[in-house]
Amino acid sequence: MNMTGTQDRISITVKSFATLREVMDSQITIDIVAGSTIRTLLVELSLRYNGLNDLLFSRPGVLKDLVNILKNGRNIQYLAGLDTPLDNGDLIALFPPAAGG
Amino acid sequence: MDGYAGNMIYADLSTKNVTVMPTPAELKNKYIGGRGFGIRILTDTIDPGTEPMSEKNALVYATGPLTGTGIPLGNRYEISTIAPLTGAAASSNSGGTFGWKLKKAGFDAVVVTGKSEKPVYLLLDNGKAELRDASHLWGKTTSQTTDAIVEELNDKSVRVACIGPAGEKLVLYACVINEKTRAAGRGGAGAVMGYKKLKAIAVRGDLPIKPADEAALEAVKKRVRQKIEENGISKALHDYGTAVLVNIINENYVMPTRNFQSGHFANADKVSGETMAKTILKKPKGCYACIVQCGRVCEFEGESGEGPEYEPDWGFGPDCGIDDLKAVARANNLCNEYGLDAISTPATIACLMEMAERGYVSHPVRFGDVKGMLGLVEQIAKREGIGDELAEGSFRFATRYGHPEYSMSSKKQELPAYDPRGIQGYGLATATSVRGGDHVYGYMISPEILGAPEKLDPYATKGKPQWVKTFQDLTAAIDASGMCLFTSFALDAQDYADLISATTGMKIDTAELLRIGERIWNLQKLYNIKRGFGRADDTLPSRLLNEPLKEGAPAGLVWKRDEMLDEYYALRGWDKNGVPTAEKLRELDIAYVDVTRGTGAKTAVS
Repeated sequence: MNMTGTQDRISITVKSFATLREVMDSQITIDIVAGSTIRTLLVELSLRYNGLNDLLFSRPGVLKDLVNILKNGRNIQYLAGLDTPLDNGDLIALFPPAAGG
Repeated sequence: MDGYAGNMIYADLSTKNVTVMPTPAELKNKYIGGRGFGIRILTDTIDPGTEPMSEKNALVYATGPLTGTGIPLGNRYEISTIAPLTGAAASSNSGGTFGWKLKKAGFDAVVVTGKSEKPVYLLLDNGKAELRDASHLWGKTTSQTTDAIVEELNDKSVRVACIGPAGEKLVLYACVINEKTRAAGRGGAGAVMGYKKLKAIAVRGDLPIKPADEAALEAVKKRVRQKIEENGISKALHDYGTAVLVNIINENYVMPTRNFQSGHFANADKVSGETMAKTILKKPKGCYACIVQCGRVCEFEGESGEGPEYEPDWGFGPDCGIDDLKAVARANNLCNEYGLDAISTPATIACLMEMAERGYVSHPVRFGDVKGMLGLVEQIAKREGIGDELAEGSFRFATRYGHPEYSMSSKKQELPAYDPRGIQGYGLATATSVRGGDHVYGYMISPEILGAPEKLDPYATKGKPQWVKTFQDLTAAIDASGMCLFTSFALDAQDYADLISATTGMKIDTAELLRIGERIWNLQKLYNIKRGFGRADDTLPSRLLNEPLKEGAPAGLVWKRDEMLDEYYALRGWDKNGVPTAEKLRELDIAYVDVTRGTGAKTAVS
């Protein structure tokens, strides 16, 4: 909460790849409440994009095994997972299961 | 029946003797097939002092028992030889339908020795073999050669593995192309064929390939098919091809850019699999019995071809500072036509680009120069101008100009499309790869970046040596079996063991599967030690050890060799110099190998 009684907002850029682009924009910038985490961001995105939730989660609150989410290039698995806090200007990359070689 | 064709063929190009012999039981039992056959035959029959370009060097084209048996993605064959680029005993793997047809022609493997005076091709036809004149094919590209042989034999069921002009010109990283677009790419087997004046191998036949236990195999097939189909990775591979990796690797900031000067390419999405799918992709394509279909049939501006796969996409794209997808696809098509390895070719050009920009080589090409890049591919294939020097690979080229540190290679073989500074286990895998710079002798990208079979922190070194050893051994066994490595995203060791057991009748459990893989790895290692390789070769370019990445999450990281190598050697049962101990050799049943001279083996092939 700031001095005017409204909640501070932060700006996050989200990029999607591969099959996720079938249901959402390849890149968007969204404003969300300061103090948000990856989890709250994904809830926000799932409300905005029909079908995204099913591509990312195996059951409520549990990411599919091979889904990878990066915060500024670092997999959230090695940060705080879905509870990884977001900072203004963060770049979040969402990947569905994918591989090559 | 046991999944094998039952016979092998030995062709001496010097004497023109062609001999058919039964596939030895010991080879099947201890080495399975594919890479296992190739390495055992090479190490048994070729003196370790043999030069790659010599009559004594051999080429072994070998399938596995799972090749061509209708098992999903069971379609591979492997070419093993003393590789001219590295000087190491090495193997390279290819798909398509050639391996299946080689077995239908009646052969598990083909062993070629000697050197012909005139160009020839080897025709394998329903159990028979014939060396035929190929003078009229010399100089032709791989697609021209393939079409000419199919027309000559008047049979569209014929499959052809051949070299293009690059192999004839002895480019040290010339590859072998089957069915016009599938490549056994690494190390320069194409140059060995060119030296021997062997233009092609053509196969046709309709002989049966029967498993030992059809009912058991059908049950395992059903299980593995379901696992592959249900694995999310398979869909992405089908929809976007292997180049789906472009954005993944780039967003992790481990995309080698401009000869590994950076780990991030700003315009990567322009050459990504996603962009390819929206622009030049005509349709996906699969190899024999493939249910994934990661191959790309691409068309643009009157040109058509297959690919680019991720590696050449990276090589001609970010590594050369180029974001023009059509130019990348065109360069890839040139590699297929000329028969050039589509990793070493762009990586060597990227090396020149950096050295030219730094003023160490007087040449006008610069990063991002599409026209210059395409011209260099042609020059390399024809050994024209500076292409003659680049045809020796980046290490020899950079050394010639006094700066070997700008060659991004290991054991003189160019590194693939991942920056080891931000993927520590992958760095260990490629540095210790027995065939030189590599990504598919132990694909640590899978756990460290993609999260399969589980997620491993790519920046961590702890625990990585054990993972690398397991991946290297399992991959050696998969390469021996004839299965596509991409099945390993969905299948586990038990699946492979069950497939091999049902097909061959051998009772192989996961421990034995890994033991066979470890045996292949150690035999290849031992032989290369005898060829002069040692601990100092198990490393990466100084840039990767000493210059930290500068951007993104892995900024500040270098590749930490010293934190992993000793542990890796110890886990392998090797001494501090990376030499397998006598105890390890006994454990793997290869104690017959005399480390000091020759293998001392009774030849397994006669």
